Amino acid sequence: MSEDGKSQLTRRDFLKLAGLGAAATAVTTVAGSAKPVEASFRGAPFSDPAGRPKRPWWVKTVDKPTTEIDWNMMQRFNERTGSVRGPGMAGYVGPMEVDRLSEAATRNEKQRMLDNVDGYTLKDQALRAAHVGVGRSFLGPQKARTPEQREVPKWTGTPEEASKIVRAAMRHFGASTIGFMELDDNTRKLIYGVDPDGKELIFTDEDEAYETDDARYIPNKCKYVIVYTVQMSVETMRRCPTALASQTTTMAYTRGEAIQAGGQEFLRGLGYQGLSESTTNALGISPAMGVLAGLGEMSRVNRMISPEFGPMVRVHKILTDLPLAVDKPIDAGIMEFCKRCKKCAEACPSESLSFLDEPTWETQGDWNNPGHKAYFENAVTCMQYWREHAGTNCGICFAVCPFTKKDKAWIHEWVKAGSATAPFLINFFRSMDDAFGYGVQASAEEWWNLDLPEYGIDTNQAVSER
Amino acid sequence: MSDKFVIEIKKRPWYEWILWAIWLFLLIFIYQNAVGSAHELEARAATIFWISFVVVALGGVVVWFVRRNK
Repeated sequence: MSEDGKSQLTRRDFLKLAGLGAAATAVTTVAGSAKPVEASFRGAPFSDPAGRPKRPWWVKTVDKPTTEIDWNMMQRFNERTGSVRGPGMAGYVGPMEVDRLSEAATRNEKQRMLDNVDGYTLKDQALRAAHVGVGRSFLGPQKARTPEQREVPKWTGTPEEASKIVRAAMRHFGASTIGFMELDDNTRKLIYGVDPDGKELIFTDEDEAYETDDARYIPNKCKYVIVYTVQMSVETMRRCPTALASQTTTMAYTRGEAIQAGGQEFLRGLGYQGLSESTTNALGISPAMGVLAGLGEMSRVNRMISPEFGPMVRVHKILTDLPLAVDKPIDAGIMEFCKRCKKCAEACPSESLSFLDEPTWETQGDWNNPGHKAYFENAVTCMQYWREHAGTNCGICFAVCPFTKKDKAWIHEWVKAGSATAPFLINFFRSMDDAFGYGVQASAEEWWNLDLPEYGIDTNQAVSER
Repeated sequence: MSDKFVIEIKKRPWYEWILWAIWLFLLIFIYQNAVGSAHELEARAATIFWISFVVVALGGVVVWFVRRNK
């Protein structure tokens, strides 16, 4: 301080400030680069005997899922006639309306290409049409050599060891998160009664699974379910509803085909059966299985939301007779968040999502399977919007969900932890989500200028929890 | 003129150091979120965090300058 009492920056003070600045820079640099340092531990051994991931402290395992289930009310679903994706839609709105919607979709698609509408240009449509997969089948490709063919005994180990190697293999094939559940008299109701192609799914005491022209036979001993997620690109989905965004799901399904085939062939190579989806979303109700296998919770979009990726995953499953260590459901405060947030319902252009404060047993129509307390959606109006207006699938509810976040900024983990432990903060978090601009639709044209990682996803996301 | 000088050294109270530690942590937290949001291509969030960073940083510097003369 100078003699007259006025502040002046002396050399000593300047050096102090410089030191403080240097220290702050060093600390913030370390903080900013924390993620890559953690990512280098990805190759570390599983810390759990069954390979269960180490999840954040606010993700709690529970005995019962956060969705109430009445197994007596639940019946095995007829996906052929029940779902709006296939011929079931005509059952709800009539074949004339289905034809009208298809014509509108075709007409709009062409006109939008001619008009160069953002996200619907020829290059967007070309990208959308470019995904060619390996296909799906109930019994798998059946090309891998079995232990019998190799003239060695089949693989044996404890359920924990089996779970660990299946997790390692499934992740190697491209799955993001993997969980296991067991079919019993109740949970086998999650297996469809009829597959999307009209074939019955029948449980049998026979040892080997097989398929006829009318039915697929599932041995009762194939009671373990490998449930896995395939991550989707946030960067394309946030451009929905467009052709560019639509291919997000297409690509995830296509990648899922390779993962499914890999899983089935791996099990075959070990000497066990792997029964899976004959077509996309066949075999059973994936979100419910994901919930029971601890991969996530049900939500207002009536789909599974995972703590790691939010709704930005597709969920698939493989039945096997390889005994596995099953997982428990989780409570990460997701359902509680959905009760108060309602952002997806507000954003839904076809008003197909529920605004109810609490989930209900009352379904919206036959496309919903009763027996669980949920936020049932109007799948018919949703599908009508897809065909008539979007011209593709939609995905707005996924894109705007506050759980649809990457993991580079610490704030997301804090918000998830905060809402899981202090639900009274949820409304505040929801307001902040809006204020910070999350979930706002981005330009599809801009996407073509982005230098993104493979598949447009971050395979290291949530890696620190693993 | 007196031969003696009296030098009075005031020890900062313990809670002031805690407040400075909180300030530094807040600064690091906001900085990380600003950088992280930019990596996430969340332009609006990154802008808000950068503005918050500047405000909190300047606020701390101003308080430090004011208090050092007391």
